[in-house]
Amino acid sequence: MSEFSLFHVLEELSGPFSSPLITPPAESAELATLLCGVIALYSVIRIIFEPDVMRKLPFLNVFSFSISGIIALMIPHPLGVIAAAAYFIGSTFESNAIASTWAGGVEE
Amino acid sequence: MILLIVLCCIMVLIGGIYAGYARDPYTKLIALGVIGGGVMPLIIARGYVDIAVALAIIIPLSTIFVLQLCKKGVA
Repeated sequence: MSEFSLFHVLEELSGPFSSPLITPPAESAELATLLCGVIALYSVIRIIFEPDVMRKLPFLNVFSFSISGIIALMIPHPLGVIAAAAYFIGSTFESNAIASTWAGGVEE
Repeated sequence: MILLIVLCCIMVLIGGIYAGYARDPYTKLIALGVIGGGVMPLIIARGYVDIAVALAIIIPLSTIFVLQLCKKGVA
């Protein structure tokens, strides 16, 4: 009974899919979005507990990919796909720039 | 679907605390990337998609500008 009331309270709070402008495409999209969030949280935990800097960067890539998946699944609008593509390109560029600078760059 | 927002808030908090405690400049930049990525679904969730497009360009550019300061061997 208390679980039901907890879910009722969670429904009353404002969330991404409780806005009238944003509605989820389907129930499976909600589950996929939540799964992407769990993958992102796991990669953040791996980033923290990895001692080597070079081993952190693939998990930063995993984190960026799951975040762009969340963005693409969260909004059923063409602009959301554009935002996901922009974040995908930008975050891959960023982590590759960090990796390239860490490795030493171009030798002259 | 508030659980996803709570997950993103946890990620931003972890990234911020880790950026405070990290000593290596590259590690600090990685934590900054975690903060920038975790804040993005919070902006999308309110419907500000155009601002998210602008931030997706600005955040990696600012990271690359900071990256000029920490060449290997100098820092």
